[in-house]
Amino acid sequence: MTSRRGLLKKTLGGAVLLAAAGAVPLALRKTRLRALAPGRALLFFTPAEYSVWAAVADRILDRNATYITQEHNDGPPLPAAVLVEAAEKRKTAPTPVAIDLTGKADAFLAPLDAASAKDLKQLLALFDSALFSLVTGGPPRPFTQQEPAEQDAQLKAWQTSRLAIRRTGYQAMKRLCCAIYYGSPETYASIGYPGPPYDLVKSVMK
Amino acid sequence: MIFKGNQVTQDLVLKPDVCIVGSGPGGSMAASRLSAQGAKVVVLEEGGYHQKDEFDMQEATAFPRLYQDRGNRATADLSIAVLQGRAVGGGTVVNWTTSYRTPDDVINRWRDEGSILTPALLKPHFDEVEQRLGIQKVDYDDTNANNRSLYDGCKKLGWQVDTTRRNVRGCLRTGYCGMGCPVDAKQSAALTYLPDAIAKGADLYADCRVTRIDWNGKRAQAVIGVVLDPASGQYTGRTIRVEPKVIVVSGGALNSPALLLRSGIRQGPVGEKTWLHPVVAVGAMYKSRIEGFYGAPQSVASHHFAHRDPGAGFFMEVAPTHPMITGIAMPGFGAPLRSRMALLPHLASCISLMIDGFHGDQGGTVSLRPDGGPRLDYPFNEVHYECFREGMKAMARAHLANGAESITTFHATPLVLTKESDLAQIDHAPLGPNLFAAFTAHQMGGCRMGSDPKTSVVNPQLRHHSLENLFVADGSVFPTSLGVNPMESIYGISSWAAQHIHAALS
Repeated sequence: MTSRRGLLKKTLGGAVLLAAAGAVPLALRKTRLRALAPGRALLFFTPAEYSVWAAVADRILDRNATYITQEHNDGPPLPAAVLVEAAEKRKTAPTPVAIDLTGKADAFLAPLDAASAKDLKQLLALFDSALFSLVTGGPPRPFTQQEPAEQDAQLKAWQTSRLAIRRTGYQAMKRLCCAIYYGSPETYASIGYPGPPYDLVKSVMK
Repeated sequence: MIFKGNQVTQDLVLKPDVCIVGSGPGGSMAASRLSAQGAKVVVLEEGGYHQKDEFDMQEATAFPRLYQDRGNRATADLSIAVLQGRAVGGGTVVNWTTSYRTPDDVINRWRDEGSILTPALLKPHFDEVEQRLGIQKVDYDDTNANNRSLYDGCKKLGWQVDTTRRNVRGCLRTGYCGMGCPVDAKQSAALTYLPDAIAKGADLYADCRVTRIDWNGKRAQAVIGVVLDPASGQYTGRTIRVEPKVIVVSGGALNSPALLLRSGIRQGPVGEKTWLHPVVAVGAMYKSRIEGFYGAPQSVASHHFAHRDPGAGFFMEVAPTHPMITGIAMPGFGAPLRSRMALLPHLASCISLMIDGFHGDQGGTVSLRPDGGPRLDYPFNEVHYECFREGMKAMARAHLANGAESITTFHATPLVLTKESDLAQIDHAPLGPNLFAAFTAHQMGGCRMGSDPKTSVVNPQLRHHSLENLFVADGSVFPTSLGVNPMESIYGISSWAAQHIHAALS
């Protein structure tokens, strides 16, 4: 998360759009706020940024396909028994909320250097901008106010954008979401990972 | 002795013979050799001092603790994820143990730059390193299914392939080398050359971030470091000032040029021609369980395509499939991502590493971030893309030959390939920054050695061209990439350079 210096400076009109956003009604469309996990105090995110990240995490790690992701659901051909087993495991996957993904992201990002922190916060503001959504072909609503299929479409647009800086922004969010999610032991069973071989290690340490 | 950050309770001024910045293969070796010759050595290491009991085999613990930028280092545009160690012992604590000597043709190529190295000069150093680190060739029977799939596929195609050599003793083959060996089987610098140096009187300060080198005229005068709290990583308010006779910079190929730049030591192409062995990957799905998260993570390599002409060469190896690094790399989001991840036990992971620096490619550039850390830019061009495409095709062919059900590429919109005729799709899939997953675990160059001060940073003895008591001993001095995993080369060249560093003491 250290490498998005000047993110918006390089974004096509990004700074101008943000400035303009203060003068148009679209900018008044606010982030849909999410509740924090019990006992969680924010170290890095504002409540709005927390809510944007949580909404992104929900889509990055959604268990069900929308039509946007379904059309790209090019799952690898494997014997039916293997796929059935995998599908059953997938159903057990905890949601991002269940593992407090965004709270963990907040804690992870807290020590970020000032310049990188500023870039990431600008990214989240832009990603949830109704105006930016509209001018880039999306609905005139913040990401957090969109329907799931619209949200998937926005993520897909950023993932494959012709603007390199939007692809960078997508990767910044996707990678940290996946790192926290799949680095959490609560998710291991859902992907068939038995976890570290502690017994083997203990057997030689005695 | 080894001192942790919380043991430094007052500002220190130290006056040893030698100050070494960094404790990876380059710094640890220099510390060992110079201490053995009677020099008083102080090593400053930004990373923490961690031992086997702390290695819990969890990625969420290991990456923030043992990797640069808490596991999040990347090029400025995030197009290449950078795996680089940060601990007492440097990258040797977290690498996957693959140990190769520098190829003879690479050593000879460097002579075009003015290098005085020869295979014969380096041989005794590599001999000693291999003995000290227990480097031995892996038996085929000791490889895991993840590695065997590449081996068997290459054999079926008649391609060169072999097991690798690893620096382990008593390896349990748990598969967790990348998170710190929990049983001390991996012979990292923290278990070998650093203890050797300390036994001869060296001192090592962990949790010490070197901010600059003070210099005047032709001499470097002092190394200035700030002390970090081992638990929080935050500055404690304490500083360490070292005023040695000789300074050795061994921070690795990104941190060493950044330190020179922060210090205003800008003679020569500092930070330029940084080589990464850029990696692209494919995932092969098998009917059988592969369980690539267990077993020696990297024990097979194919150099069949290392000397392509035209086109940049590449070599193929294997990466472990632990959930976090796989999830980061796996393309897509939502249900498709979940579907692929749910098949993790059936996934074989294959990587292709481009041998950069030999085809007119300029590599990357290290400059400074606003916080003073290294910023890395590495632009791709058609030389890279052609190599990446051919690498993906070769990996897919090997796994299809071995009976994989399908191959998934790591493009933003992944391809799923099941037969030879599908491979042409790779030629048409879009490539560009962040349109496919790219990585590096091998950082080289940036303080290249050579005889011409205009085109190199250090001279053939690794002494800085302008500062007579400043040396660089790490992978940053390589004029090109290697075509093999770099750890043993760094050890060997640092061992060779120690005689020149020692001579500078007098």
